[in-house]
Amino acid sequence: MTSNDDVALRVRALESLLLEKGLVEAPAIDEIIDLFENRLGPQNGARVIARAWSDPAFKARLLSNPTDAIVELGFEAVQGEDMVVVENTSRVHNIVVCTLCSCFPWATLGLPPVWYKSAPYRARAASDPRGVLAEFGTEIGQEAEVRVWDSNAELRYMVLPEKPAGTDGMSEDDLMPLVTRDSMIGVTKALDVGEVTP
Amino acid sequence: MSRVITQEVAQSLYKATRTAHVDADVSASFSVGDGIQARNVNPTGHTRLPRYIRGKQGMIAADHGVFQFADSLAHGGGKQPQHLYSVKFTAQELWGADAPAKDSLYIDLWDDYLEPTEMGT
Repeated sequence: MTSNDDVALRVRALESLLLEKGLVEAPAIDEIIDLFENRLGPQNGARVIARAWSDPAFKARLLSNPTDAIVELGFEAVQGEDMVVVENTSRVHNIVVCTLCSCFPWATLGLPPVWYKSAPYRARAASDPRGVLAEFGTEIGQEAEVRVWDSNAELRYMVLPEKPAGTDGMSEDDLMPLVTRDSMIGVTKALDVGEVTP
Repeated sequence: MSRVITQEVAQSLYKATRTAHVDADVSASFSVGDGIQARNVNPTGHTRLPRYIRGKQGMIAADHGVFQFADSLAHGGGKQPQHLYSVKFTAQELWGADAPAKDSLYIDLWDDYLEPTEMGT
């Protein structure tokens, strides 16, 4: 039995116990699964970024008043109440970490990946961001500045990646697949057009 | 008393109702550009002031406005609303002379964590 089977079995056992004891109703579980599978996740963040790449006025609002700009697109949920968006340029690369725990902008990025919550990422993203970036395949030249954002308090951070070259004239919908979760955490750049699998 | 989690309760748990921003008229002890030093304190309970920041010198990069204070809330001390700042620390201040000269780290710190320095801008 793989450990995934083991976890699945344990989850099923817990679910039936909670239902049997009347602590949780089945539609509540469906609601939570639907929320995290379909309504909260990096597809929301990708929509925000693609809009910012396509619409300069929206981008200006996103950088000056991120919480409201994101709500404008309908993404309003817990862990998105107080947002900060930081912009990557050819001269500045931003990377987000929560050194104290696992704070993450759920409304736009969903739940954090396992590595984001791991002690090594939390320690090294702060103390050696260029080393961490290199491990993600992201080389930042010495002429550029790396800024680490520790979301230790109440604000939640999202990176606005640089718009990849060769994307002029592309529609917002066509830009969306270039925006990955990792690029909005800042550990990678957005994908190039050729890197998207059709 | 147990509370049954219904679909309605599940929906309410994920609504954007947990802003930590407080609409209160509290004066700020620092302005953007001010030099600060993070207090070197070692509380035994909950704090959002990580050890790697304590005693280090930085600069106020932005004022986020007034927020409830996580440290006091965690200990039943109420919201103690105060200004929360984005504070910039150079990588060299935090990690020593071998760190890249241009790199920096930004972290959100409440008024109570900070004391003024001579540094400034």
